[in-house]
Amino acid sequence: MSIDRAHASSRVPTQLLDGIRVEPEEAEAPERRLLVSAGELARATRALLDAGGHFVGTFAAREPALTLRVLVAYRGELVVLGASLGEERGYPAIARVTPAALLPERELHDVTGIVPLDHPELAPALRPDPDQLPRRVVGDQTFVIPYGPIRSGVFEAVQFPIDTGGEDVLSLTVRPYFKRRGLEQRFAGLPLDHAAHLAERIAGISTVAHAFAFAQAVERTGRVEVPPRAERWRAIHAELERIANHLDVGVKLAEDAALSVGVARFGSLKEQVMRLRARLCGSRFGRGVVAPGGIRNEPLISVGEVLGTLDGLETDLRRDRSLLLRTTSFTDRLIGTGRLDVETIVAYGGVGPVARACSLGIDARLERPYGAYPNLGFTIARATGGDAMARFDVRLQEIDQSIHLMRQALEHLDRLPAELAVRVDAAEGEACGWTEAPSGELVYCVRTEGSTVREVHVLTPSLRNWPLLSASYRGDVLTDVSFIEHSFGLTPAEADR
Amino acid sequence: MLEWLFRGLRHGVVTTRYPRRPETPPVGFRGRVDPVGRGGVGLEDLCPTGAIHVSDGRISVDRGSCVLCGACVAAEPELFSFVADYQTAAHRRGALFTGGKGPRTEELRPALGERSRTLRRSIHIRHVDAGSDGSEEWEIHALTNPYYDMQRLGFFFTLTPRHADVLLVSGGVTASMREPLLRAFEAMPEPRAVVAVGTDACSGGFSAATGEVAGGVDQLLPVDVYVPGSPPAPIAILHGLLLASGVLTREIAA
Repeated sequence: MSIDRAHASSRVPTQLLDGIRVEPEEAEAPERRLLVSAGELARATRALLDAGGHFVGTFAAREPALTLRVLVAYRGELVVLGASLGEERGYPAIARVTPAALLPERELHDVTGIVPLDHPELAPALRPDPDQLPRRVVGDQTFVIPYGPIRSGVFEAVQFPIDTGGEDVLSLTVRPYFKRRGLEQRFAGLPLDHAAHLAERIAGISTVAHAFAFAQAVERTGRVEVPPRAERWRAIHAELERIANHLDVGVKLAEDAALSVGVARFGSLKEQVMRLRARLCGSRFGRGVVAPGGIRNEPLISVGEVLGTLDGLETDLRRDRSLLLRTTSFTDRLIGTGRLDVETIVAYGGVGPVARACSLGIDARLERPYGAYPNLGFTIARATGGDAMARFDVRLQEIDQSIHLMRQALEHLDRLPAELAVRVDAAEGEACGWTEAPSGELVYCVRTEGSTVREVHVLTPSLRNWPLLSASYRGDVLTDVSFIEHSFGLTPAEADR
Repeated sequence: MLEWLFRGLRHGVVTTRYPRRPETPPVGFRGRVDPVGRGGVGLEDLCPTGAIHVSDGRISVDRGSCVLCGACVAAEPELFSFVADYQTAAHRRGALFTGGKGPRTEELRPALGERSRTLRRSIHIRHVDAGSDGSEEWEIHALTNPYYDMQRLGFFFTLTPRHADVLLVSGGVTASMREPLLRAFEAMPEPRAVVAVGTDACSGGFSAATGEVAGGVDQLLPVDVYVPGSPPAPIAILHGLLLASGVLTREIAA
C-alpha cells in the first residue's frame, strides 16, 4: 500500500457518502470539512473507514456552536466531519463503527456530558481511581496485578491492570488519564506565542512535533507562508527529536533485556543527540524553537558543526546497532513478542512505527506533505512482522532516514533568504495542523480569533495506539510486558493531556 | 558478550567530574532567567505562567513558576536574560524568587545535612510521576547514562519506596496521583527527603491555572529541595540530589 502522490488531489467521491445529506464547509486543501446531521455522523464515518480511511479522532468543538467533530484521514485528505448538536445531547456512538473511538468518546462524555448512544463501555475515564480495578477475566485461578500508576523504574504514570493465572498474561487493560492536567482547556484566551509554549509542554518528549503541528494549524487559519529557511530548521529539529525518541526505545529495550553495555551505548548516543539539540537552540528538548509564522532564533551553531556531529553519530550507531542485532539474548526477547496483525491495526486506527511495523504505509509526512518535507526525499520505513522486533527495526530504519533527511535539509541552507519568521496576527477561523510525531500522526485542531487562541483540540498518536497495546497480548507472559510496552514507545502525558 | 565489553571500553571515560569540577553548559543554554534591569509597567503580562513580579520598579522572577519559555527575554531583552547555569536547585520555595523579594511560602526547614548524614554515599531514590509532561522522566533517567553516572556519587534508583531515602517527584500532582503519591511517601522510612523536580512539581507551571493539579508537590508533602526548570537538565537534578543529601550546601545564588 504505497502512498500515491496523485491521491493528494483526489476528492472524497460523492457516491461514498451516498444517501447521507452532506453540506460542505469552507476549508483549505488537503483539509475537507463536511457537515452532516448528528444522527448520521456514525454512518458517514463508517463509509469513509470502509473506503480505506483511517480514524484520527473525535471531539466536541464549543465554538461558534457546540459541534461534534470526527476526523478521518482519507487518501491524502483530512476529512473533518461536523455535526451540530441542537437541544439533543446524544448521537449514535462512533465506537460502534471503530474501536478507535472508545477512549475519545468516553473522554468526550466526561468533559461535555454529551452521550454517545449505545457506546459499549461508557464508564467515566478521567480521574481514574487506582484501587478500582477492572477485571476482564473471571476464574478461580486468576488474579489482577495492578501494575501502576507508580511502576518499576523511572516511568510516567499509567496503570496496566493485568489479568493473569500466574505467568500468562490473559488480558492487559490500559488505564490512561492519571496525569490529565487539563491543558487543552488552558489554551483558551492565550496569545498565539504563549500558546505555542504550552503546546510544547503537552508531551515533553515530542516537544517539537507538538509546537510544529500547532504552528501549522495557526498558519493555516491565517493563510500564512512560512519562510523556506524556517521550514528547513523545523524539519531538522523534528528529525532530531525522532532520533532521540527512537534511541530512547533502544535504551529501554536493552534495559529490559538486562544488557548493561547496550543500555550505556544507546544512552550515550541519545545523550549526544540531546546535547546537539542544546547546542543548537539552548534547550535539550528543542523548546522555544518553533513559533507560529516560523522559528524564533537563528541556530546557535553552524551547519558544519551539525553535520560533523551527525557523521560521528551515524558511525557509532552503525557499530552499536549491528552488535545489538547479533546479540541473541536481546533479539530472542523481541521476536514474536506482542504480535499485531494488519486487520487489528486498521480496526483500531493505529499509527506511527506500530502501524509501519505491520507493513502499513501510514506517515503524515507523505500522506499530506507539510513544511519542508515535499522537497526532501525519503522512504517510509516498514517491516512485516508486526512484533516488538519489527517495531524496533522500523525505528532503526527511521533513524537512518532522519539523518538522511537532515543532511538534505542542511544542504545549501545558507543560500536561502535569511528571513526566519513572518507575522501571524490576523488569523481568524478554524483549521487543523499535523505532523508525524515520533510515535505517529499528530493533529491539532485550532480556532483562533485575532492574535488569540479560542479553542484547541489535540488528537495524539499515543491515545490512538493505547488500545493496540491491549490487543497485542496473544500468549505473552508477564516478563514480556515491559518489552511490549517499550516497543510501542508511547508517552502517557501525550494521551492524557 | 566479550564484544560488548570491548564496545564499552572503546570510547574511554566520558563521565562528568561534577561536582568536584564544575560542569559548563553549552553557550546559549537556557538554564534560568535573570532580571537584569529595573522594570516598567505591564511586565507581569509578558509571562504565560505569572512568574514575573514587579514592586517599586524592582523585577523579581519566580523560578519555581518560570517555564523557561523566553517570552520575556524576547520581548524585553534589556530587562531579562537567559543564564547558562545548571545549579538552580534550592532548599526553600522562597529562595527561587530572584532578589529574595517575593513572598516566602515557608520557613527554612532544619538543615538536611544533619538529617541525612547517616545516608551519605548510599542514597536510594524512588521516582514518582505525579503529572509531568514526560520530559522530566527522560532527564532523571539520563542520570544513569555514562555521561552523568550518578552511581559514582552513591545514588541508586530503587523500585520500592520502603527502601528509598529520597522521593523524587515530577509533576504538579493531579487528582488521580494524589493518593498514590501520599502512599509512596508514607511507606518510606525516616529520615526521608522529598525533591520536587521541574517547574511543574515546584508550582504546577502551565497546569497551575487549570484546576486539575494541586499546584506543586509542597501542597501535599514537605518538600526539602526544589529543582526548577522545564525540564531541569540532568546536572540540575544531580545538584538537587546533592543538596538533598547534604553533600553540597550551596544554594542558588540569590
